[in-house]
Amino acid sequence: MSTAISTNKADKVNPAVKSTAYRAKRRFIIISLVPILLLFGVFAFLPIAWSLGLSAFKYDPLSSNAIFVGAENYIRMFQDSIFLKSLWVTFKFVFIAVLINIVITLLIASAIQRVRIPWLKNGFRTIFFLPTIAPLAGTAIVWNTMFNYNDGLFNMILAKMNMAPIQWLSDPHYALYSVIMMTLWADIGYNIVLFIAGLDSIPDMYYEAATLEGAGRWHVFLHITLPLLRRTLLFVSITTVVSYFQAFPQFQIMTKGGPFNETRVLSLQIYEQAFSSSNMGYASAMATVFLMIILLVTLLQLRWGRTQWEH
Amino acid sequence: MDIVSGSAGFFPSKPSLDGYRTVFSEAPFVTWLLNSLMTSVIITVVTLFTSALAGYVFAKHQFRGKKLLFILILATMMIPFQVIMIPTYLITAELGLVNHLLAIILPNLVSSYGVFLAKQFIEEIPQELLEAARMDGSGEFRLMLRIVMPLILPMLSALGIFTFMNSWNNYLWPLIVLNDESKMTVPLALVYFNGTHQVNYNVVMSAAVLITIPVIIMFLIFQKQFIKGLAMTGMK
Repeated sequence: MSTAISTNKADKVNPAVKSTAYRAKRRFIIISLVPILLLFGVFAFLPIAWSLGLSAFKYDPLSSNAIFVGAENYIRMFQDSIFLKSLWVTFKFVFIAVLINIVITLLIASAIQRVRIPWLKNGFRTIFFLPTIAPLAGTAIVWNTMFNYNDGLFNMILAKMNMAPIQWLSDPHYALYSVIMMTLWADIGYNIVLFIAGLDSIPDMYYEAATLEGAGRWHVFLHITLPLLRRTLLFVSITTVVSYFQAFPQFQIMTKGGPFNETRVLSLQIYEQAFSSSNMGYASAMATVFLMIILLVTLLQLRWGRTQWEH
Repeated sequence: MDIVSGSAGFFPSKPSLDGYRTVFSEAPFVTWLLNSLMTSVIITVVTLFTSALAGYVFAKHQFRGKKLLFILILATMMIPFQVIMIPTYLITAELGLVNHLLAIILPNLVSSYGVFLAKQFIEEIPQELLEAARMDGSGEFRLMLRIVMPLILPMLSALGIFTFMNSWNNYLWPLIVLNDESKMTVPLALVYFNGTHQVNYNVVMSAAVLITIPVIIMFLIFQKQFIKGLAMTGMK
């Protein structure tokens, strides 16, 4: 409304002043947006279209001639047992890791939120948050040494407890769970902070009312905390799912997809097909499937979240 | 860092700085640190500027196709990097930037998240304030630098911390585009040490500590903005 008043005033004062101001604004918009849009165009819009296009070609950057193959890459993909396995492993990883992540971060956040001494509360939050700021590649390497069969920290602890050592990263039964363990250690800080913020925004009066009515702790959590935390919960679950689908450094550094492809997630498979085997067309087709999965999962989560709110 | 001290308790050997000495003497570690520092600082500074600029234009100016452009920019937030990495590599190669630090910098100078956040925050700035400055003869760029940016400083500092950290820790893109040893950034350096010193833990650990320290210092200085920013933006 204020805009309307001020431009009206300018109109009455001097139309010439207004038009030069208008032209200056126009110039400002063009000068500032053109370089920014150019960057978005070259490094975001163009690659998306290119990737979709590339998935219909057999393309090896070394021989540099692209052969149009239509849907062949997609057909090949669904007969490729390694690709299918990588899909399965990706879903398994995301499902297990996200589920455990949300349960433990919610527990830790509620525990930290109960702490009433500010410096202690901050201290706890910092301790859980510190691992998240370390480079994931570094964390993966450090955990690699801890997972070592002969002199790694974990097997030393098992030995102290008189238990048999475990091939953490090379036993097909344990490899994926070892990576999940490391991922959770490296990543839970974010969600803890987000949950604490969400919990802090719930007004105390709800809890006071519930206590007056004699509700138990579990009852309060189920019927007050969880419903009021739904927004945070939806946000946290979407961002975590999307980021875990893209998890890469820990797999590339710790297991390289092995043993027996038990940790070959889709993002690793796309990377290796594109840059180790130079099958860029085939890798692009996988990337398209990857994109579809992420869009679908996000939409489903949003829809699920919305129907939950309506009740 | 926690792990290093934790496992040190487990091996009661005499402490030494040999690991650190090896890190600096056997590899161009200082160059790698400088590469990381330079790319991260440039990316952060420019991203803050472009985000504030685009946010200002989208929040306070009118032009045709504005809504569509904004939606397109937002849509790129949903695209996983694995989907665009192959064409982005081909474009970078076409530009002759493979093995060049510009390949790290150039694709990261704009952030759709940054534009989105800046727009949200700039919309809150009262129009009267901007009009008053325009009456005083301020140009749009000056307005942006002198009035808009200071007013959204809390948001910019949060965005800055996350941009710096993501760029410092970025592993996948440098792995694709940098092969030359002298051009590597620190996350790659770590993997390099792991490959050459697999038996010698303390060298790898020393390198891990060295590349984590800068972000830990950053975190300790900006802890408050960091936590607030995370709660505000939910950035990961």
